[in-house]
Amino acid sequence: MKYFWSRRDFLWRAGGGLSGVALAHMLNSQGLLAAEIAGDACSAKPLGDNPYAVKPPHFKPRAKAVISLFMTGGPSAVDLFDFKEGLVKYAGQPIDDKIHGDVIVRQGYPGPLMPSPFEFKRYGQSGKLVSEVFPNLGQHVDDIAFIHSVFGRSNDHVQAHYEMQSGQIRVGFPSAGSWITYGLGTESTSLPAFVVIADGRGGPIGGPTNWSAGYMPAAFQGTLFRASGDPIVDLKPVAGMTPETQRSRLDLLSKLNELDMEKFPGATDLSARISSYELAYRMQGCAPKAIDIGSESEQTKKLYGLDEPITEPFGRQCLLARRLVEHGVRFVQLFQGGMGNQNTDTWDAHSNIRSNHGQHAKESDVPIAGLLTDLKARGLLDDTLVIWHGEFGRMPISQRGVGRDHNPGVMTVWMAGAGIKGGQSIGSSDEFGYKTGEQPISYHDLHATMLHLLGLDHTKLTYLYNGRNMRLTDVYGTLIPQIVNA
Amino acid sequence: MRRVSSIILGIFAIVFFTALPNAQAPSPTAAAPPAVTFARDIQPILEKNCAACHSGDLKLAELDLSNREAAMRGGEHGAVIVAGNSEKSKLYRMVAGLDQPVMPMQGDALKPTEVAAIKAWIDQGATWDAPAVSFAKDIQPIMERSCWNCHGESMQLSKLDLRTREGALRGGAHGPALAPGKADESRLYRAVAHLDAIKMPMQGDKLKPEEIAAFKAWIDAGAPWDVVATPTAKPATSAIAALENMELTPEQRNYWAFKLPVQKTPPIASKAEFSHPIDRFLDAARAEKKLVAAPRADKRTLIRRAYIDLIGLPPSPADVEAFVADRSDDAWDKLITKLLASPQYGERWGRHWLDVARYADSNGFEQDYDRPNAWRYRDYVINAFNQDKPYNQFLKEQIAGDELDYVTHETLIATGFLRAGPRVLFREKDNPERRWDYVDDLIATLGRGVMGMTVNCARCHNHKFDPIAQKDYYSLAAAVNGWVETDWPLVASRTEAEAYLKQNKDVDEKIEALRDKISAIEKPYRDELRAAYIKKEYPENVQRAVFKPEAERTPGEQLLAAQVLSGGGGGTDAEVAKKMTAAELAQKKELTSQIAAIEKQRPKTPPMAEIITDGDWRFAPMGRGDETIGCPKCRLPPPDRPNGTYLQEGPGKYEPPPTNFLIRGDPESKGSLMKPGFLSVALHGEHPTEIPRPDGRTSGRRLALAEWLGSNDNPLTARVIVNRVWHHHFGRGIVATLDNFGKMGEQPTHPELLDYLAVEFMKRGWSMKQLHRFMMTSEAYQMASVFDQGANVKADPENRLLWRYRPQRLDAETIRDAMLSVAGNINLTMGGLAFFPNVPKEILVTEQTKGRWDNQPDGPATWRRSIYIYQRRSLPFPMFETFDHPDMNLTAGARNVSTVPTQALTLLNNPFVLREAELLAERITSETTDPVKQIDLGYQYALGRPATDLEKKLALEKVKAGTLVDFTHVLLNLSEFLYMR
Repeated sequence: MKYFWSRRDFLWRAGGGLSGVALAHMLNSQGLLAAEIAGDACSAKPLGDNPYAVKPPHFKPRAKAVISLFMTGGPSAVDLFDFKEGLVKYAGQPIDDKIHGDVIVRQGYPGPLMPSPFEFKRYGQSGKLVSEVFPNLGQHVDDIAFIHSVFGRSNDHVQAHYEMQSGQIRVGFPSAGSWITYGLGTESTSLPAFVVIADGRGGPIGGPTNWSAGYMPAAFQGTLFRASGDPIVDLKPVAGMTPETQRSRLDLLSKLNELDMEKFPGATDLSARISSYELAYRMQGCAPKAIDIGSESEQTKKLYGLDEPITEPFGRQCLLARRLVEHGVRFVQLFQGGMGNQNTDTWDAHSNIRSNHGQHAKESDVPIAGLLTDLKARGLLDDTLVIWHGEFGRMPISQRGVGRDHNPGVMTVWMAGAGIKGGQSIGSSDEFGYKTGEQPISYHDLHATMLHLLGLDHTKLTYLYNGRNMRLTDVYGTLIPQIVNA
Repeated sequence: MRRVSSIILGIFAIVFFTALPNAQAPSPTAAAPPAVTFARDIQPILEKNCAACHSGDLKLAELDLSNREAAMRGGEHGAVIVAGNSEKSKLYRMVAGLDQPVMPMQGDALKPTEVAAIKAWIDQGATWDAPAVSFAKDIQPIMERSCWNCHGESMQLSKLDLRTREGALRGGAHGPALAPGKADESRLYRAVAHLDAIKMPMQGDKLKPEEIAAFKAWIDAGAPWDVVATPTAKPATSAIAALENMELTPEQRNYWAFKLPVQKTPPIASKAEFSHPIDRFLDAARAEKKLVAAPRADKRTLIRRAYIDLIGLPPSPADVEAFVADRSDDAWDKLITKLLASPQYGERWGRHWLDVARYADSNGFEQDYDRPNAWRYRDYVINAFNQDKPYNQFLKEQIAGDELDYVTHETLIATGFLRAGPRVLFREKDNPERRWDYVDDLIATLGRGVMGMTVNCARCHNHKFDPIAQKDYYSLAAAVNGWVETDWPLVASRTEAEAYLKQNKDVDEKIEALRDKISAIEKPYRDELRAAYIKKEYPENVQRAVFKPEAERTPGEQLLAAQVLSGGGGGTDAEVAKKMTAAELAQKKELTSQIAAIEKQRPKTPPMAEIITDGDWRFAPMGRGDETIGCPKCRLPPPDRPNGTYLQEGPGKYEPPPTNFLIRGDPESKGSLMKPGFLSVALHGEHPTEIPRPDGRTSGRRLALAEWLGSNDNPLTARVIVNRVWHHHFGRGIVATLDNFGKMGEQPTHPELLDYLAVEFMKRGWSMKQLHRFMMTSEAYQMASVFDQGANVKADPENRLLWRYRPQRLDAETIRDAMLSVAGNINLTMGGLAFFPNVPKEILVTEQTKGRWDNQPDGPATWRRSIYIYQRRSLPFPMFETFDHPDMNLTAGARNVSTVPTQALTLLNNPFVLREAELLAERITSETTDPVKQIDLGYQYALGRPATDLEKKLALEKVKAGTLVDFTHVLLNLSEFLYMR
């Protein structure tokens, strides 16, 4: 139903239809080819209207880009950022008589309240208590706003993932990255607007639906990048094809398509198709360049932990995120945690919170700290929102003795950059970290806030589907008032 | 101007945003806020505006504003009152209009003074004078609902009459029910609080904690009975009725889509060649705008159009030449006849229906399990098109194939339509609310797919734009909700099928019993191994809890011990075997061989179909993740239906499980019990909502729904399918929004033509093939798409009135099929299991552990038509996704048509495309070695026409400098190849 590059194409409006030859002339003189000759093809402005064309925000944005750090499996708030005196005080006691309603655990017997096996330490001027597993991240607390009162609706990984991504626990809805791409477009013509870099161990749980465009055109879905080699499948010509051969085929294609177009004056979908080949050609050269970390200094690599095997994989993901943001990508979705073994591959610490969270924190502590340091040093943190989250939190009571079960009742999410007021803790969990306390915050609220920081009003960013103006936040969403600096 | 306003808007928003925390700071001149008291100022506001929805039975959004404890707890969207901070309190924000949704949802907004009072009250701490429990207000409604049915006017079970205080004091068979002042000693309280063996109410849900608390407080206060029971209407009833009922106005009924289509005489045409009714309608519409119709397309264009449109494959050069050479009057007719008779027709048009049916070969969600027999439904659809099954029969089989007068394997397989949507199928028993999402999947598919109505918008409230009541939604829910999903053996008779299922179950049960015996023998050793494991692996506090005598454990240690002792560490089979005695080992061996012997009795699995039929979903067999691990009391209670079974086992008439109206769509807020029904506004004439079945195995509700949908009295069904067919033939529906004929959809460009076609379609027995022929024999279908007419472009730039043929980009499947066909390596084997073309391992890495994608090497097995590619929900085939294949989770309207660089990348670099280019080059080379003829032949294959001189010249330059593949690869990238024109 959406004929991109057709309805509103500037060529059409400019001249009531230009011939293919004229189009080729424009391509050559103003656009891609000219930029290519000038040696700066990867930063050339896009030609004409396209689904990713930059659209103005609703008001002045604080953030230009988002880096979402998704800890899959469900990180435990009370073991990482939300120290609970109550767990120490009532250690080993049942929770039933201390809370409202029944405790429903869906697998196994409910255990007693279990204090964190980790020590907490105060960091920064704000004196924020952070678990010993994040010694490096702890150094950044004054740049971070911790939200301790986020709650979700599903106790199952996949539905909870989908809720984090799209606000809905059902399938078929666009993810936040798709909404942002739809709402703002991208300044980059050589890279997709919405890039996903998955954990090398596979996954994430829920698969590509996590970055699906749902009912929107597929053009708005996330593009999965590999962390090394050619980032996108089918980006590069098959082995054996020389650049000259490809260029030669493209030239013939372009000439024949232009001849064809003369029969259909004003058919903007045909002109769009011609220019899409030139864009594709350019992406081939620019996308690998954008992710090539060869040019990074040893010092930078070390900053992200590329020198240590345990931090190297996520360090690489974080470093790529910074490079992509530098190249104009709007939304970078990283996943920490993959598929396979619950204990070692994801944050899903059913059996042992100490070993599981110890490992995953170790994998991500240096890389995330490195990312924040690097963004700040380059002045990118001012207009890049970094958001750290999982799909749900974990129970304050034990499971299988020393593990913790899922808990959508409350979790901690943090944000940094983009004018976020650091060193503060927003909302609270209850005495034990079992449910929300003060200022409960839903995913809709997080999404509303995220869009707001990008200059988008979540009630106005709509997409007509099913006869209704759909929103990322459905009919909900309240901004988190105190999260930004005045 | 626009720029300026957006900046102003931006500044405003930032100011508003950052100012929020301090927004409540009073201005210097404002008087101090007045002191408010709850009882005087707030309670009346809450009772008048909030209580109807947020107390008592309803508690919408799980929010209860009837007492402070519940109000402070908030609802499903979190807290609504932050004591001392009105600006952070949703209650205030919503009544003040600061947050969506603005409250109250129905009725007038609060007066400014009331809003101010709420604000002041919250800022002053939201105190709540504890009101004394009142019988009339707090106790009587509970009694009416939960006690008086059995202990009231109509009966006094256990001889207990609770209508009066005297009756309660007198008591029943078990003694007095009430001890005023002493709740703990009152049977009434102990029964509702479930403190004794007798738990009340006998039927229905346990009372809510706050209700139980109210009973306690009331009895402790002396159980004053200030009202004599009268059989008045329940207070909540009128509120529910107001929510449930919606009046339809005559104007709403008068909307075109809800009136029966009428076949008007087509207008007189301006030209003699416009004799076809379609052309006469189009001509009249064009004449109004002075649009000139394009001439007929040339025969080469026409044959390619007809081939791609009807069978999804381009014609061979020989086909083209034969058609060009055929100068007979009925050449076009003969071509249509031939293509409609081709089995590839069903593959092309079946695929269009699979978009509507949100078809996939996997379940979706986390597990994304394989649906091993889903393909039978896909083949059913292909065959139905090839057989020209009347569309209403086609619908009837898909919706009620299990309850027809003559049930066959085919009609059972057809019911796969209803279960084709996404399902979680993991821990279903812990998440019974999911059933409502599955119901919604059915209603959305039937609504948008078949009726062209967004009925599913009415799940939580009356439709905002169309006259579809929420009650209609739940009537439709009641019509379908008897369904269960099961695998059915495709054997000769029902008796045989049931025998197979029983035999299989018997084997399972016997084996399970034997396995239990083995477990019992092994248990002591497993416990021993587990103890050793615990000593090794667990911290000291856990060990202390586990290894002390049970009686000495603290309550916390009891929990700890239970969870650790029920957990892992019980050793491998080999470790256990080392500890077992020789006699025990022999015993285990004997039991194991018994299991093997019984396994041999298992009947051979016949072909199975994934069907739906009637039953009670609440008794679904245990599925994946449904097993109780450890803690039986932690599970949700089973449904309260005596002797309920999953499949209807008879004897006697099947009674579907109850379907209630759900207030605001919330499964916890049940309204009235629903009777099956249809879309009220579209009802014409009398239509039964249940058609009793002679065998009583099914309710006949789905059959009744299918009969109504497929009846000539239905104003929507024929129009919607005729419009879908028109869309595929002409590139745009008469109603452009194929799945939305409502107010928010596009309005028809040619309403009278749409009606004419719908009536004609029904007259001709709902035949799809006749409909194709009817449309394709019009001049409109045969118009040229190349027609540059300046005045037309000005008057109707989007060609809405069809003055020239609309070129269409090929859809994902057709692009791939056309390549295979042109290169000559297509494998036209029909039906059967899906195949798996190669997907790069980088993409497979994101796949789920439990689904499947079994990459097959490029070869004849993967050169089959695209409709047979495995449709995996969590891993759409990348090439198809790039070319706008719709989301498999939702019923689809028209597919998107986008033009993005990733399409170019796919066509340039995908190994499959390059391989096809090579095969095409080989094919050409095998026929001629003359370079000019090769180029011409390439054009014939790919585009069905000879190359022009200029094209030959340009191509020849490249071929001479490079290879023929340079040229054939370009051919497969040409716009002309990618379009049907």
